[in-house]
Amino acid sequence: MITADEQFAQEFAKLSATFVAQLPRQVQALSNDLVAWLSAPRDAALLDRLSHRVHQLRGAGSTFGCCGISDAARALEQYLAEFRSDATGGSASTMDEVKAAMEALRDEANRIYGESAQGGQRGTQN
Amino acid sequence: MAQPTLSRILYVEDDADIREIVRMSLEMLGQFQVAACDSCADALSLIHEFSPDLLLLDVMMPDVDGPATLRALRERVSAESAPAIFITAKVEASDMLRYRDMGVLDVIVKPFDPMVLSGRIEQIWQRHWSSFNDNGG
Repeated sequence: MITADEQFAQEFAKLSATFVAQLPRQVQALSNDLVAWLSAPRDAALLDRLSHRVHQLRGAGSTFGCCGISDAARALEQYLAEFRSDATGGSASTMDEVKAAMEALRDEANRIYGESAQGGQRGTQN
Repeated sequence: MAQPTLSRILYVEDDADIREIVRMSLEMLGQFQVAACDSCADALSLIHEFSPDLLLLDVMMPDVDGPATLRALRERVSAESAPAIFITAKVEASDMLRYRDMGVLDVIVKPFDPMVLSGRIEQIWQRHWSSFNDNGG
């Protein structure tokens, strides 16, 4: 008979797999938000939405054990926080750092997704 | 006063993934009844019908954050009938002071281990009631 712990572990594994499968789409949505904000960097509502999404991804990443995602999201969140506290709209160098942090997040998402997809293929072949 | 049993938890979290993990963890591992809400408005619409023993609130939410949600819920249920716990990654010293000032029982720090979350909440609940009784409550 399956225990509650085992049942939970199974359900958690399913949710984790879904999270990883949706990572590229989630990061693309973030990237779209970033592009929108970069075209209007003084738009506080756009920055709030972007920051919140990044914060969510950071939390979900750590909860699902994707520490690289969480770390990359945290770095991006920190750069965005500098803009939130800077009424002048931030400096060009910080803008470049934001873009680089977004790229790092995308790379990490692709890496995890790729590893997961390869693992799935191996699993179906065996 | 006899310690009430913790069985009904009203949980507010805007992130769907985290909400689902916590709901599963509390229901499957803690055997609690959980009303999982995605916003302050959702929680306000459920609170009387669900009648929770405990409120479990995320802090960083769009529109209405956790502290503001707690203030809104407090207009409908007292801290005595439904004490609260925050669950958050926002735990700088100034944040913690603000949470304590709001009278929450404790703060669970994200990321959390879903395997032990129920036990942690039960522990906070026991500590709260034993302190309440020790102080003549």
